[in-house]
Amino acid sequence: MTTVPVLAAVHVRRSPEAAFRTFTERIGDWWPLRTHGVYGEAAVGLDIVDGQLVERSAHGETSVWGEVVRWEPPHRFACTWHPGRAQDGVHTLIEVEFQPDEDGTRVELTHSGWEIYGDEAEQRRAPYQAPDAWNHVLGLFARAGSD
Amino acid sequence: MANVAAAIAALGDPTRRAVFERLRDGPRAVGELADGLPVTRSAVSQHLRVLGEAGLVSQTRVGTRRLYRVEPDGLAAVRAYFDDLWGSALGAMRDLAEADESDVEDP
Repeated sequence: MTTVPVLAAVHVRRSPEAAFRTFTERIGDWWPLRTHGVYGEAAVGLDIVDGQLVERSAHGETSVWGEVVRWEPPHRFACTWHPGRAQDGVHTLIEVEFQPDEDGTRVELTHSGWEIYGDEAEQRRAPYQAPDAWNHVLGLFARAGSD
Repeated sequence: MANVAAAIAALGDPTRRAVFERLRDGPRAVGELADGLPVTRSAVSQHLRVLGEAGLVSQTRVGTRRLYRVEPDGLAAVRAYFDDLWGSALGAMRDLAEADESDVEDP
C-alpha cells in the first residue's frame, strides 16, 4: 500500500542560503511547538543537534523527533520524522528543496512514507495537510443550505 | 473514526450547530437543550440523531435521564481535517526568514 505524500510549498523573499538557515537553524522559532510538540507548554526548544532533531523541555528532558538523512545546504535537507515516538524504525520522511527563483526562493516540502502506519495512515496524515478542505466544506454547506 | 464529511455537513445547519454548541459546557438532556432555542423538543431530538450519526455526539443514561454529550474523537477528526500543519508552519518560517534583515541585500 502506498499513500499520497503531503506537499507544501512557500515562497520566501530571501536567498536559498537564508531560507535554508531559517528552516534548519531556527526550526524551534517557527514550528508551532506549544501546540504540536511532545512537551506542550513546557517545551523550550527544537533544534538540529548532531544530526538529530531534538525537542527540549523546561525540566531538562529531551525527545528525538528525527534523524537528518540529507544535508546539502542550501539546496536540500531531509530527515526522518517520528515526533513523540521512540526510534523504533517507524517514521515518515521530510524532504525539503530550496530552489532559487526570480525574487527569492521556493521552498518545497514533501512529507512521505505514511504507509508505515498501515490502517492508520490516512488518520496520521490528515493533520499535516487539508487538501482543498475549504472548497469541500463550502460545497457541503451549500448542499446543507439547499435541503 | 468519525466520518469527517458527515460531521461537517451536520454542522452546516445553524440550529444543529446551536444544539451542538450547547453541549460544550457538559452533558445535557433534550429538554435543557430545547430551552432557549426556537425549536421543539422533537426537532432537537432529530438534530441530535443527525449529530450522533456523524460521530459528533453520543448519549448516556444517568438514572432515568438520557444525556447527550460531545464525542471527543468526532470533534478531533474535524479539527485535524482543518489543521494544514505544514502549510501554516511554512508560512511562519517564511515570515521569520523575511523578518531577518541581515540578509536583506540578497536577492
